[in-house]
Order: sequence, then C-alpha cells, then structure tokens
Amino acid sequence: MTASCTNPFLLAFPTTPIERIHDTRSDYEILAGAAAALADEIDEPRMRAYWKGVLDGDPTPYLQRVLSGSNATRGVLFDDLHESCKDGVPLLMNARTYPRHAGWEQRQEDKPWYTPTGRLEFYRPEPEWQAAGESLPVWREPVDATFYEPNAILANRRHPSINPRKPEDYGVPESQLDVETRQYRNVVRTWQELKLSKHPLTEKDPAYRFVFQTPKYRWGAHSTAVDSDWIAMLFGPFGDPYRRDPRTPWTGEAYAELGPGDAKELGVSDGDYIWLDADPEDRPYRGASSDDEYYDVARVMMRVRTYSGMPRGVIRTWFNMYAATPGTVQAQKDDPGGPAQNPATGYVALFRHGSHQSGTRAYLRPTQMTDSMTRKAYFGQQIGTGFEADVHSPSGAPKEGFVKVEKAEDGAPDGGKWRPVELGLRPEAPSDAMKAYLAGEFVSRTRKEA
Amino acid sequence: MAKVRNWQLGRDMEYPYVADRPAKQFTMIMDTNKCIACQSCTIACKSTWTWGKGQEFMLWNNIETKPYGFYPTGWDVNVLELLGEQEWDGDDVYTGQTVFEAAPAGERVLGWAPAEEDWSHPNIGEDEPTGSADETTYIPDKPHSLMWMYYLQRICNHCTYPACVAACPREAIYKRPEDGIVLVDQTRCRGYQECLTACPYKKTMFNLETRVSEKCIGCYPKLEQGLQTQCTTACIGRLRLTNYLSAPDEVDPRKPADFLVHVRMIALPLYPQLGLEPNVYYIPPVHVPTKYLTQMFGPGVERAVEMYRNAKDDPELLGLLMLFGSTERIWHTWDVSDGVARAYDEDGEEVVAVPLREPTFTRPFEFATEVAGEPVTGFRHNT
Repeated sequence: MTASCTNPFLLAFPTTPIERIHDTRSDYEILAGAAAALADEIDEPRMRAYWKGVLDGDPTPYLQRVLSGSNATRGVLFDDLHESCKDGVPLLMNARTYPRHAGWEQRQEDKPWYTPTGRLEFYRPEPEWQAAGESLPVWREPVDATFYEPNAILANRRHPSINPRKPEDYGVPESQLDVETRQYRNVVRTWQELKLSKHPLTEKDPAYRFVFQTPKYRWGAHSTAVDSDWIAMLFGPFGDPYRRDPRTPWTGEAYAELGPGDAKELGVSDGDYIWLDADPEDRPYRGASSDDEYYDVARVMMRVRTYSGMPRGVIRTWFNMYAATPGTVQAQKDDPGGPAQNPATGYVALFRHGSHQSGTRAYLRPTQMTDSMTRKAYFGQQIGTGFEADVHSPSGAPKEGFVKVEKAEDGAPDGGKWRPVELGLRPEAPSDAMKAYLAGEFVSRTRKEA
Repeated sequence: MAKVRNWQLGRDMEYPYVADRPAKQFTMIMDTNKCIACQSCTIACKSTWTWGKGQEFMLWNNIETKPYGFYPTGWDVNVLELLGEQEWDGDDVYTGQTVFEAAPAGERVLGWAPAEEDWSHPNIGEDEPTGSADETTYIPDKPHSLMWMYYLQRICNHCTYPACVAACPREAIYKRPEDGIVLVDQTRCRGYQECLTACPYKKTMFNLETRVSEKCIGCYPKLEQGLQTQCTTACIGRLRLTNYLSAPDEVDPRKPADFLVHVRMIALPLYPQLGLEPNVYYIPPVHVPTKYLTQMFGPGVERAVEMYRNAKDDPELLGLLMLFGSTERIWHTWDVSDGVARAYDEDGEEVVAVPLREPTFTRPFEFATEVAGEPVTGFRHNT
C-alpha cells in the first residue's frame, strides 16, 4: 500500500499469486515470528496477540488501521482498494481538491495557516532565532562546503533584525574555526568581506580548494538495489557487464565529476582514479592515520568523469552507491581482478575504497532544535510546539564537504588513458571527426527552402 | 543491385534486393522532448528478451545522451566519418551517397565492425552537455548554442531497406511481409557477423553463448495480440507510440503514424542520409542547434520544431500526442472533441479517452461515509 502528500492516488500492490521463492519471509513476518517465540519464552501471550493478523496469515486489519487512522484515507475499506488495484485502478486520496494544491484552504477559504498568528509568518520572534540571527530569512555560507569563511551570515551588518549572539558571547574566540564550533557560529559578513575570506583548510593547504557535493541521483533511492548488475552497468559512464578492466569493483562504479578546467589543472584525465580527502580533523574518521588497518577501507578512491556542466571548483559524486567495507576491500586483495564483493555475505561495493561519505559529515542546526517553535503535528491537523520528528528536528544528512584531490591511477588498466579518451570521443581531447560531429558538419544543404 | 524508391531521400537509390514493401509497416514514434532517460524501457526490454547467458551486454532498446552518449561506443560518429560530408539539395532531395552507394568494391554496404569493448559503457556520456560551465551557465539563446544535450531513444529501426539484410551472406535475416519487422532466423544464422558491420545503427548483436546474431524483434508476440511493445508501455514519460505506417503512396491522414510522419511531418527518421529508410521516427528536441539536428534527422527539423512549439494551439496534434502512452493497446484512429482526445480500434470502438487539460475537482470540507457497515465522518484537508 502506498500514498504520499503530493500523489493524488492511493495504491495497493495486489498480492501476488506466486509463492515466495526459497525459505524467505517478509519483514513483518520476521517481526511477528520473533514476537511469537518471545511470547512462548517469557510466557507473555500479549506479544503473540499483538501480531495475531500476521500469524493467522491476514495482515489486512493492520492496513485497515493505517487507512482509518490517516486523514486523507479515512473511509476507505482496504478490500475495496485491493480489488480496484487488481484491475489497475487506484483510488483517489480524500483531499479537498484533485489535483492536490497545497495551501488551497488557506488561499481559497478562511482556514488559518499552521502558525501562532494563523498567517504566513516571515519573521521569527522566538529568542533562539534572534540569537541565531535568523529572524529573517538569511543566507549562511555552508558549514564546510564553501570557498569562504564557513557558516557566516551574509548581510548588511547594520540591519536591526540581524543582530545575533556572537561567538564571544558564548566564550568562543571568533578565530576558532574547527569543524565542531563552526556549526553554531553567528558572525555577520558583507559580501565585500566574505569574498576576501578563505576556508580555514585552504589557509593551511592550498590543495584544499574544492566544494564537494553528493546529491541524490537517478539510479536509486534509499536502499533500492543500486548494486544489481544491470543497474550498476547503466549507472554512469563506467559500466561493463564483463568487468574488462579488472580493477573495477562491480559492473559499474562510483565516480567524481570535475569540470574539464579543474581536471586539467590537477593533471587528471577522464577515467583516471583519484583519492579524495576532506578535513583530516574528522574525515575519513577522527584520528585517522595511513598506518591504520582500515584506513584504505575508509578513504575514498573513485574514477573521474570530466563533466562540462560542473562549475569551477565544484566536484560532484552521486549519493547512495554502496560503500566499500573491510570485506569488499579484502576480497579485491585476496582475488586481484575479482569484484569488490564480500564472499561471506555477497555484499558488493561500487567503490574500491571508501565511499562518497568519506568526504562528508552531518552538522546540527540550532534553529532546527528549539523548544518554542509552533508547528503542525506529523499526523493530523493538530498544532503544537517544539520537537516533532521530520517536522521540527535536526536533519543531519551528510551531503557536502571541502576537499582536495590527487591522482591515484591511470584510466587504462595497463597505464595510459581510458579507451574512450584515446578514441577521441571525450570532451577532453575530441578527434577531428568528433569535432565535426558536434558541429553538425557531416551534412550540408546546398540551397535553403524557397 | 536494384533501383528502389526511398521517399525519405526524395529519390531512387541502389539496394541489393528489389523493393517489396510489407502490407503495413511496424513503426515507433518517439517524442524526444519528453524523455528523462530513466531507462525503464531499457530494463523492460532486457528483463523480457535479453536476460540470458551471452546477452549480458545486450540492450535491444537503449537510451543514450546526445551528443556524448553512444551504444556501442562511437557508433554514429564512426559511420558519419566513413561516409564523409554529404549534401541535401534544399529540403527535398538527398544528393549525397548512401551506405549502399558508397560501399567499397566487392562489398554491399559501407560499414565498420565494432570491437567487443565497444559494447562496454552502454551509458557513457549520460547527462553530459556540450560546451563548458567555465564559460557560462546562463543560456540566453534558443536553440542553445553553448550548452545542450538530449536523450535519444534507440531500438532497431526495422528499416524498409535494411543494411543487415543486404549484408547477410546466408539470407538469414528477413523482413516479415505482414508488418515489416526485421528478424534474424536463429537456425540459418552462422554467426559471420556481417550484419554487425553493415548496420549503421549497430542494432544487430552477437550472442556470445549461442554464437549467432540477434536483435530487437519489435515485441511481435505482443503486436500479434494488438498490444504495444514493452518499451512503449513501460515508458513513464509516455513519449512512445507503437503503430503502423502506410506505404508512402497510400497515406491515410486518419492514422496516427501517417499523420505525424507524412501529413504534419513533425516526426523525422534517424540519419535518413544513410539510405535505409528507417521506420522509427523522432520528434526532434526543441533546444538543440539546427545544424546538429539536421545532421541527425534530415532537413525537416526546423519545421518540426516550430510545429511542436505550436502544438498547444493545435488540438488535433495535441490530442494525438496526449494519447501516447495512455493505453497498452494499439489503436488506429483518433479524434478530438470537447477537449477530449479519443482513440479507436479498427472497428471504430473507443479504446481510451484523455482530456487535453487536467481538470481540477473540489470536494466539500466535511464528509460522511461507511466502512464495513460502520459510519465514518471527518474533514478533508489539503494541507
């Protein structure tokens, strides 16, 4: 059964008439089975009763409870939904409009917004927001992924509503810029000041000069099987079902995208392998040393794809690809030329070493952790204040960092450039034919249409 | 060599066999502007037809980003380079040479043999634009001269004059007389791979296990049941239409493919200058330089792009485009009335109806219903 706020349709995947393969169970059967075993173990029949529907082979009552308990699906009988979906027809969510326009009642009727005043509020008067300097919507530099002074508020400092508590007010010197204290660091800078500043890592080592971003990508979401051989083969430019380059971890692999200008300056070619390092203070982990047993499990190595769409100084690696583990790194050591697959578990990595998260970490945002904020409840229409999961709470997705890059290996397995570069089909060094092709010069028209 | 009529070139041309057009011709129309390269079509095709041993690399259907995407590596750059610069006389007549006319002495087709490695990297160039963000990320002009890319949907073209058929020394490849689908007879083929060298689109493939060639079969078992292909029905962008094309002298404007290809000429063949009269047609992307598109789709691209841009004011065309991907069944005619496009089968029965504009419905705030005999009341909310 599936539904979401934005999808106008309510769907159930009809139960399959095919029996499960092998000795497998679904998640809820495993939970119910464990509960039943514990019920017998400790003589607590309620643990069995809790899962009665599943243990009797009918999970419908639980699905019905979800439908009856949710605003936009109340009034739907699961059996009706199931029968309709068997014919390929979903049901409509029970919202005010189809399609569902967010804020329709507030805009078209007299319903209040879910704020203390009932109006749209663009000024946050709560003391925590004033202390953060964020009573008005402001731009903060990222905590790490910036060329400039991290986490600075970009504003005209004379603005009366942007007057935060400064580092000194918390007993922290303004010059203290380690990765922990700069998470909550309220300094206001004009653009004239900010553009002259440098990231503290660049001050120490000019090789640190790249913003590293790891956005979600088109080939998987959450834990969908991005390591399946077909998906890995189609994911980006390095797919090969036969792994002709014996170094590759799987039928495809992770890569970092650099603009062609940056790649050239680094002496890196399309298809080469690189090492990528973020702030050594805490990445790939605190206290890391190249002598450590698992250092090369945690430090990330990737292919390079030169990508004309990348702005200068920005490197992108896609999120969600399966990370190297001690088992996958050991597997490639034990069986040179074999895949990065742990023989004990079958787990396969799309990295030879490390992962996209070797260069990123999560940060806490104080304005996401206040106790005074008025907000809607996660379910239903109730208004409350303070913490509410997924509504007002820290969202610490580790997505970006500030890094340096060094070449690790050539693109071709025996040295030299990756084959498509040699063939002249890549932007780095296009052949004459490729140049003519890009310009559309293989065809001409002798006279235009009258 | 026989003289055959290639309507896409506006002239007769040389071909090893005499022309023998099928009763009706399988065709697919692709609206390139709607594709997001999700590869749902690729996976639908692969999980239906090429999941076996020896087929690991094989994608009868693939999506490649143009201009940096290729499957196999460099396929169109290579054949264009072999053929050299060629000319169209205005919009009507191709005065250059086809791959049959330019064939070296003793050969039937000008071609090149892909290396095994060329079938690696099936999604090379994914999402890669031309130009460089070092110069600009702001694109003021249309079509975009600096940075552009688009997605090309590729299956076998089931050509009227297939190069694979021309090149096969065993006569193992044939065109079905009933629908023009090109098939490789798996018992006649001896795996010489002449078809792989000859096909400029590189849509015949060599099975590493059976040691014979195979290719896209147009999902003919589905067609025979009146259903559109797997790649068409799996397409979430609803950009494909599986249908039939009439012979060029029997065009029927009531039929969707004839209307798009011959009447409105909004759907164009892929590299028509090669001379195969391919039967997959593309509505070209609206944001790409004309010169590149002319190289790929022939001289009609400006007219096609303009027509597509104006489709919102053209209910007949808009309705037809909106019927793409709206039913698994193959339909034969359509009409548009009162803001609704309707498709009909061969007997004139309605197959599906699609509104041109998505309607908005408003429901009351309070509701009362019954679930399993129990009254349920509540309130509806959008937010």
